[in-house]
Formats: sequence, structure tokens, C-alpha cells
Amino acid sequence: MTDTDSTTTGPLAPEDITAESPFTLPGFFDALAAGRLMAARCTECETHLLPPRPACYNCGSRAVTLSEQPRTGEVVSYTSVKRPPSAFEHLAPITVAVVELDSSARLTGRVTASLESVAIGDRVELRVCDPETVDIDPEFNLSYEEEWPVHVFDRL
Amino acid sequence: MATAHLIAVGSSPLGKTDLPGRDLFSRAIAEAFEGLPDPADVVDGLYVGAQSERYENQIMQGTLMAEWAGLRNVPAERVEACAAAGALALKNAVRDVRAGVHDAVLACGVEKMTAGGTEGATNALGAAFERALEQRSGITAPATYALLARRYLHETDATERDLARIAVKNHRNAASNPRAMFQQAVDVETVMDAPDVAPPLKLYDCAPVTDGAAAVVVANDEVAADLQRRHDAVHVAGVGSAANNLAVAERDLTFVEGANVAASTAYEDADVDAADIDVAEVHDAFTVCEALLAEAAEFAPKGRGIETVEDPGDRSAGWTDVQINTSGGLKARGHPIGATGLLQAIEAYEQLTDRAGERQVADANTALLINEGGVADAHTVAHVLTHND
Ligand SMILES: [Zn+2]
Repeated sequence: MTDTDSTTTGPLAPEDITAESPFTLPGFFDALAAGRLMAARCTECETHLLPPRPACYNCGSRAVTLSEQPRTGEVVSYTSVKRPPSAFEHLAPITVAVVELDSSARLTGRVTASLESVAIGDRVELRVCDPETVDIDPEFNLSYEEEWPVHVFDRL
Repeated sequence: MATAHLIAVGSSPLGKTDLPGRDLFSRAIAEAFEGLPDPADVVDGLYVGAQSERYENQIMQGTLMAEWAGLRNVPAERVEACAAAGALALKNAVRDVRAGVHDAVLACGVEKMTAGGTEGATNALGAAFERALEQRSGITAPATYALLARRYLHETDATERDLARIAVKNHRNAASNPRAMFQQAVDVETVMDAPDVAPPLKLYDCAPVTDGAAAVVVANDEVAADLQRRHDAVHVAGVGSAANNLAVAERDLTFVEGANVAASTAYEDADVDAADIDVAEVHDAFTVCEALLAEAAEFAPKGRGIETVEDPGDRSAGWTDVQINTSGGLKARGHPIGATGLLQAIEAYEQLTDRAGERQVADANTALLINEGGVADAHTVAHVLTHND
């Protein structure tokens, strides 16, 4: 999959920053629920920003554009959480990894495999889960997070 | 610009104690002001570093600690940058004194981490991580640092045993530090055989959950001259700080760039180089941090930070002679989050004034402190301290 850049490039106008825009968390998670993983891409230095945000941390530019991300990438680093925060206890031990997508965007996520079966460089694919299937303690969620999907990585 | 001196220091016992936060603070103040006039007659304001209000369900620690020190109607503010809160309190106090806003300011920090049990501490610390993608993936503090450690071991020649030796060195140092939480040495096998916390990190790779408080009095020339013998004074020669990304995924996992910027800024402010630093207290919340920070502070060549455990004569070319974490570090002295940056300053104060007893480094004249918050260098505050002579 290649990046599908939006036609608009920042700086964002105030009216662009709404709950429908993937430049905000509600818009980012709505897109994710619909199967689209969005990042911002800096048009000055090509840094990917995931989740999208209005400015580039690498060079300071606000000339950012939206870019749909590939689902596949590789494990940069990984570990296992033996005693996670209480809301995640039922998932323990949790294998977590930093994954670099094929676009070079990076994000952290759970890996659906045991620690022993994961290595740096492993190929993984992002999968989007309904929050109810993950069964995170509802008390953990803030009011606006209740419907947000949860992502995991499956080994390829 | 006025000079900011450290004129008095104090800390509470460190570890699990029966004292709430404000009482731990009282212990630190009682030590710092031993033989001095009352705080109200010395300082004009207060900063308190506190990581989280979750432990004791209390914000407004600025007001509360000012009250407990007998200060009224003075600026008294809580500052927060997770585990860098203590150094942030010091930085603000130094700024006020340098700028002539105040003649003397109390920089302190406190954390009552055991108040909510292990679960309370895990959840309070978890708030320091990026919420939308990282907290919602179930990560913890040890796990985020394990991500750094795993990558460091992958990219360098370092091994888990090398990390274990950092814990051994810091426990050995803490054994001669009366302030330390753990005052017994451990051997490499004990560290290697300890249970996994977040592989490759094991129990002894991790700083403990600690209750504690610390206080440092920062003052200008006039107050310092009035209250102490000048040959015994330490001043803050340089300050630097920097924020990096919050999400660990977006960081360079093997180069703590924010810490490098903070340390370099402090060196420049103090007009010193890394090679001028005799002793350093760096933020070893996890063993790998000590190696990463030795490199970020430019004491060590890239990938050789693990040689922090070697005597200066036995280190690779490109290493300085610095002695790191003579206090025992966060690992063994203890890590009461908001107080840690001040505990680092206390160790430097004791080293630079020849009060460090068995762990005294000969001719220690210049010290570097690096205090970090969030995952590694999400926020870093660095100070260079120098003896006045
Ligand atoms: Zn950029």
C-alpha cells in the first residue's frame, strides 16, 4: 500500500480542527474503526506523525498533510508486561512492541504472540479490534474513549 | 546575573515508611534548617516537585508544604514533569535567584509512592505515558524502558550481564550512603537470577518504589555569606532542560537526544566540558538508563556507556574519568519520584563539600546532575554544580 495523501496541506485553519478530522483523536479513531490508519506527514522533512497532529516535532513545520498508512511493518523492539495496569490484568503477560510501518511511521502496540516467539525484525500486521472484544475494564476509559477501537499486531 | 548557591540540604528516610508525604517533607526540612534561622527568615518562596496527586489524593502541594515549613503569603508552587519534577523545582529556584526575583528559595520534592500499594504506583506512573496509543496498549514503566534496553542490547555489544553490573555497582555505592534505601551489596548472579519484570529487565534492573522527600536551599551571594562559611559553598554553574516526544515509539531508542541537549546546554551555561565533570548523578531508573545517559552526557563513546562500572583507568578510549552515581543512584539509594532530582543535588553537594564519607571521590570539584521524566528523556533537566573555591 502506498500513502494516499490528502489534497489539503497545513497550517490547519481553526475550522479544520474538528472531531471529524483525523488531525484530532476522535477523527483518527473514527478512521481507524473504518479500517484506515492515518498519520500526518510533514511535507518539509517527510517525518510521519502518528496519531496525526498539526505540527512536525522534527522540523517545526506546520505544513502537514494526511497520509493513510500501510498496515504492515517490522518489530523495532519488544518486551513483555508481566504486571500491567489493573485494567489490562486479564491480558497478562502482554507482549508489546515498537513497530515501524513500511512507510517509516512508528507506533507501539500489543503483539498477539508470546514473548518467546517474537524477535527484532519480525514482520507484523496491524489489526483493529472492537473495544468490547478486548474487554478492557470500562472504568479505565475516559468518556470520549469508550467507542475507540484498540489496535494489535499479528505476526506474519 | 546573581550566583545561585546551595547552602543547605536535607532528606527524609527513603523506603517504605509510616510517614505521609507532608511528614516526610517535615523530616527533610528539619535536616536542611538544622543550625539555620527559621525557613520564613531565610527563603522567599518554594517550589515542590511531585509526580502525582494520585498517591495521596492531594494537589496544592505548594501551599501545603509552604504551610508545613512555616511560610505564608509567599509564592509556593508545585511543578511536575514526572520523575524530573525534583530537578524542575531546583531549576526554578535557581532561575529566581539568578534573576534577582528572590534572595533565597526552597527547592523540594516529595512522593508517597506506597500509599496506594503496587497497583496504585503502577497506575500513577502509567499516567506519564502517551495515552491514546501507548497507555491503551497496557504498557508500564518497566516495559517502556525494556523497549530501550532490548534495542540497546541489539545495536551494541552490551549484554544483560553488563546491565547487571550497573546494578551491582550502584548497590555497592549505596552500601556506604547513610541516606540510601538499600545499604547492602548484591552480586552479579543475584541480579541475573532475579525474576523478570519486563525482559530483558529483571528485578534488580529497576529502581524501587520509594517514599521520600528532599529539600535544598538555594540562595544568592548575600544570603549565602550570611548563613555559612564561604569555603563550604557550592553553586549552580549551569542549567539546561529539554523535552523530547512523549510516545516512546517516536523516539530514537538508543540515543536520549533530549538528555544530550539538556546536558550540553548546562555545560555551555557553566562554561565546562564533559571532561571537566568529576562526579555525576544520572537518572538510572533502569540500569540501561545509566549507560544511555553516560553517552548522552558525552562521558562515553556511543555504545560503550556500560563501562560506567569500570574504574576510569580500565575504560575504553574516549571515556572521561567521571564517577557515576556514587550515591547508589535511583537503583539503590531509592527513587521517590518527585524528590529524586533533589536527592541527586544532595549527593553532589556532599561530594563537592567533602562530606561523602567512604564514597568520597578525591578532588571532586564539578558535578553533573541529570534528572529525567516520562519515558527516559521525555523531559530532562540537567545541572552543573561547582565548588566555590
Ligand atoms: Zn518536518
